[in-house]
Amino acid sequence: MVKNARRNGLTRRLLLAAACAGVAGLGGMGRAWASEDATDLVEQLTGSRPTASARVRLTMPSVFPNGYTVPLMLEVDSPMTESDHVAAVQVLAPRNPLVEVATFRFTPASGLARVSTRIRLAEPQHVVAVAELSDGTLLMAKAWVEVATNGCA
Amino acid sequence: MFTPAPRVQAPSIAAKGQVIQVKTLIAHPMETGLRHDDEGNIIPRKIIHRFACRYDGEVVFSVDLHEAIAANPYLEFYVRASKSGRLEFTWEEDGGGVYGVEHYLTVT
Repeated sequence: MVKNARRNGLTRRLLLAAACAGVAGLGGMGRAWASEDATDLVEQLTGSRPTASARVRLTMPSVFPNGYTVPLMLEVDSPMTESDHVAAVQVLAPRNPLVEVATFRFTPASGLARVSTRIRLAEPQHVVAVAELSDGTLLMAKAWVEVATNGCA
Repeated sequence: MFTPAPRVQAPSIAAKGQVIQVKTLIAHPMETGLRHDDEGNIIPRKIIHRFACRYDGEVVFSVDLHEAIAANPYLEFYVRASKSGRLEFTWEEDGGGVYGVEHYLTVT
C-alpha cells in the first residue's frame, strides 16, 4: 500500500511538471503555481487583486487524517438582494496538482451565501476562497489545513 | 456499468421568504484523470463537472466542480422559498451524462 502510494506520488509530480510546461504560455498559470502568496495567485488567475476580508469565512479542520474527503464550509456575509449579493465564490488549493477546486455561483434567490462540501487535498496547505460580489469586488479568505495523506494520488 | 445515484434532502413545505437548507449527494467516483491502472495507463478523467439547482425553471444555485471535489460529491446550500414550485437538480458528467432529481416545494 505504501509502495503504491509512493509510486502514484511520483507520477503525480511528473504530471504536474508536464502540466506546468503545457500551460506556462497561458496567462502565467505556471508562475501562479510556484507562488506561495495567495493574493498573487488570485491576481494572476483573475486579473484583479482581492482584499482579505472577515466577511468571507472558510471553515475547515486545521488537521485532518486523510486528504480524500476534507470537509469545507464556506459563508459570505451578504444581504443577498438584487443590488448587493455574492455572485460567486471560487475555491483554490494552490498546492494541489490541479489548483481549482470549485466555483459556487449564487443568486439573490439563494437567500444565503453559504455552502458545504468535501474536497481532496494533496498536501498540507492554505486553502483559498475568493468571493466575487455583485459590484465586482473581490474578497478573500484562507484556511490552513494539514492533511496526513495525499488525497489526489 | 456504474450508474450514479443522486439524492436530495429538502423540506417539502416552507413559509414564504424562509431560507431552506438543501442537501444533495450523488454516488460517483470522480475519477481525476491523474491516476494509473495496474498496466501504467492513465485512467481517463470522468467527473461530475457541473451541478445546478433550478427553482421554478430559474437557476438559483450552481457549481463548477473540478477534480479536487471528493468522490460522491456532497453539496449543502440554501434557497429562499418564494412560491410553490419545482426544484430541479441536475448533475452533468464528463462525456455528456446528465442525472437529475426533482423535488416539489409548497410555499404557504
